[in-house]
Amino acid sequence: MRSHTIGKQFAASALALAISMGAQAVTDEDILNDQASPEDIVSYGMGQQGQRFSPIKDLNADNIQFLQPAWAFSFGSEKMRGQESQPMIKDGVMYVTASYSRVYAIDAKTGEEIWQYDARLPDGIMPCCDVVNRGVALYGDKVYFGTLDAKLVALNKDTGKPVWIKTVADYQAGYAITAAPTVVDGKIITGVSGGEFGIVGKVEAYDAETGDLVWTRPTVEGHMGYTYKDGEQVENGITGGEAGKTWPGDLWKSGGAAPWLGGTYDASTNSLFFGTGNPAPWNSHLRPGDNLFSSSRLAIDPDTGKIKWHFQTTPNDGWDYDGVNELISFDYEDGGKTIQAAATADRNGFFYVLDRTNGDFIRGFPFVDKITWAEGLDKDGRPIYNTEDGRPGNPADTQGEKGETVLAQPSFLGGKNWQPMAYSQDTGLFYVPSNEWSMDIWNEPVSYKKGAAYLGAGFTIKPTNDKYIGVLRAMDPKTGEEVWRYENPAPLWGGVMTTAGNLVFTGTPEGYLKAFDAKTGEELYKFNTGSGVVGTPVTWMMDGEQYVSVASGWGGAVPLWGGEVAKVVKDFNQGGMVWTFKLPKDRVASR
Amino acid sequence: MLATRCLTGILLALLFAFPAQAESLLDRPPERPYDIVIESGFLKVGTYENFPPYSYLKDGKPTGVDIDIGHRIAEELGVEFRAHWIVPDENLSDDLRNNVWKGHYLAKRRIADIMMRVPYDKKYAYMQDSTGEYMNEQVVLFGPYHQEQWQIAYNPDKIQEVTTIALFQYHPIGVEIDTLPDFYLSSTFQGRLRNNVKHYTNIRAAFDAMDAGEVSAVMGMRAEVDLELHKRPDSGFVAATNGFPAIGKQVWDVGMAVKHTHRQLGYAIEAIVDGMVRDGEIEAIFARHGLRYSMPAFYDEILGVSAE
Repeated sequence: MRSHTIGKQFAASALALAISMGAQAVTDEDILNDQASPEDIVSYGMGQQGQRFSPIKDLNADNIQFLQPAWAFSFGSEKMRGQESQPMIKDGVMYVTASYSRVYAIDAKTGEEIWQYDARLPDGIMPCCDVVNRGVALYGDKVYFGTLDAKLVALNKDTGKPVWIKTVADYQAGYAITAAPTVVDGKIITGVSGGEFGIVGKVEAYDAETGDLVWTRPTVEGHMGYTYKDGEQVENGITGGEAGKTWPGDLWKSGGAAPWLGGTYDASTNSLFFGTGNPAPWNSHLRPGDNLFSSSRLAIDPDTGKIKWHFQTTPNDGWDYDGVNELISFDYEDGGKTIQAAATADRNGFFYVLDRTNGDFIRGFPFVDKITWAEGLDKDGRPIYNTEDGRPGNPADTQGEKGETVLAQPSFLGGKNWQPMAYSQDTGLFYVPSNEWSMDIWNEPVSYKKGAAYLGAGFTIKPTNDKYIGVLRAMDPKTGEEVWRYENPAPLWGGVMTTAGNLVFTGTPEGYLKAFDAKTGEELYKFNTGSGVVGTPVTWMMDGEQYVSVASGWGGAVPLWGGEVAKVVKDFNQGGMVWTFKLPKDRVASR
Repeated sequence: MLATRCLTGILLALLFAFPAQAESLLDRPPERPYDIVIESGFLKVGTYENFPPYSYLKDGKPTGVDIDIGHRIAEELGVEFRAHWIVPDENLSDDLRNNVWKGHYLAKRRIADIMMRVPYDKKYAYMQDSTGEYMNEQVVLFGPYHQEQWQIAYNPDKIQEVTTIALFQYHPIGVEIDTLPDFYLSSTFQGRLRNNVKHYTNIRAAFDAMDAGEVSAVMGMRAEVDLELHKRPDSGFVAATNGFPAIGKQVWDVGMAVKHTHRQLGYAIEAIVDGMVRDGEIEAIFARHGLRYSMPAFYDEILGVSAE
């Protein structure tokens, strides 16, 4: 049951928008109903809860062999690398981003370009984790996206001309934006990325029309949040109440916890769900304590930026287990009662089911084959650490010698990385794009940084099995059971989509868009797009036919890390395309 | 006549334009071995940006000891000095990859002919990864010209003397974030100094905090600390003489790096810098910036002297 007050509020603002911008504008209602409306895709996640579930059944397990390419579009230039975008569709136009902070509007029927916008990136910019971008937000008559130099850009959706550009954070201090923004009630909401440069994470809301900052919420304990009214900055409470509760000394001032993967939104509880990155500095022995709100999921009030609740997956993280992975809202029946739940598959290898009204832990279980850093979760969902040999050693104990090597599984790239999973309302299963790999980590005394002696950590990522790294899993959130799995030689790095046609789609670094039977995991379809697929597929209806689109172009974090994983992926060619497929009308069995 | 000259002009322009264009088509760093550097008439000297006293902009002009040494190298080679600013990445291997041999993936053609302030350490140069590959085989580390070390400066109004670092159980001390002094002070003595370690973005900011009375001492590299002391002759701040038990690496040699295919350029520069170390010119450059100088340990055996 959706809240009535929110419904009314949205209806009112939708009306206002319709009057001011004409019928073509994207309204709050469009966004709220995105999952149920097959003709458009106007939210990251194909619905703000992020389920990536389409109710369209035309294309299904029985006719998928007839899915055929309709058109392909090249992003152009030599910037062939890391296409992690999710396309959006509105009124026959596709809006898709490409690496290096580029945006394209494409005629969804023909694949012809309508406009292109290239953010002018400053010289000497050093984004921490490749040059990717994950997509746009649509609202009113504008297209919004974040850039590698940490700006939020609003473009006119018909011309691609910038309407406003706001600096969210200083790229020179180590900030960037790679995630798609979220839209709630006329506000464009974004997080920030940041490397290990002593940044402090934050989530911010901007007025969609003017670009004015509405509120800012730091994600590290001790920092003041603010709201803005008529240009006045108003204090809105310190994150976590006060500084120093879970951090030693002044480390909270530079605590990291960047919410770099953006967020989902649940209208029934009026909550934004943002995950946060690992704490800084990397050496966990320097910061005893939980280090809130690093490696956590935060429920944030979209109206005020207040944190309603938090759930920390990896307290005092020592393995670089970011907690940024998407939290997907879903309802399930338990003893005749509807449970308002939310689920997330963490870097740390555990799958968590939470009560999305208050953040309470319902259950958790491993979704990877092996976890070494923890022995399990306690009744509150807190990890029971492996205190024997689970945590990398303290560099201070290393006296000029290579420290003891600790094997940690999953590796820091995670049981699941950024690539979003999907939830099927039909099967009640989560489809999790996961990876089986571990890392050796040791203290490296022979290490230098900026002309100075340093104590670094040496590490190498290793596949757990000879034959595969990637595993697409169907997980039952009620039991923790793995219903089926598909094993892939290269690590999975692309998002997943599922449909009411009993299908699960994902891409592989080998270049394939693949579709599986949602119930059995049987592989039903594959098409080679020419370069690794690390984007997220979408599906929609246009002129009575069902379409599927996915970006293709190998890149992202995997090729940046060597070790034994490099052997698996080194021959994959980069690329930059978006591929669009359709099921011809006459192949639909019954209408 | 006029037409011919014009045509020649166009031909010449085309000839000169072509190599540059070919490079940009390939989108990879230009190969600039010794002969091409000399022919081109310039040397791109890589130094960290905004990093006093080694390399920084002062009144819009590149300045600092590494800049001065770079100028002298260019002069001896008979070419023009060109600054290549380096934005530091997470570690030295990243900086070498981004600036010496491969280029950064956002600007693949932006590369230095030579990089300054590269620690000269054989152990580092021959480090192997888990698969047995040499991790730094794409570069040659050569020409040590300086020995750097860790150093504390303190405010004698707050601390009488830094006898041992145990003092910082009681007094706040400023460090640059994510540096060895940060790790060292935060973890030594089972973390008993941890709450007194104050983090700043650089040593300048830490000294500003000492000016303001926020911290009683600062720990950084000796040249950085010396410069800040030099800039504050009336502050009364003092360089300490304490030791750093179990710090791992208290002193290290600093030299240069070139791409491994450009050894000839390295040899030529090595000879120039070796002369400057031996005849005291490098020491004079440091003195000009108000800094103490230690000769690299590399020269200990060669010259039979002890470098502090």
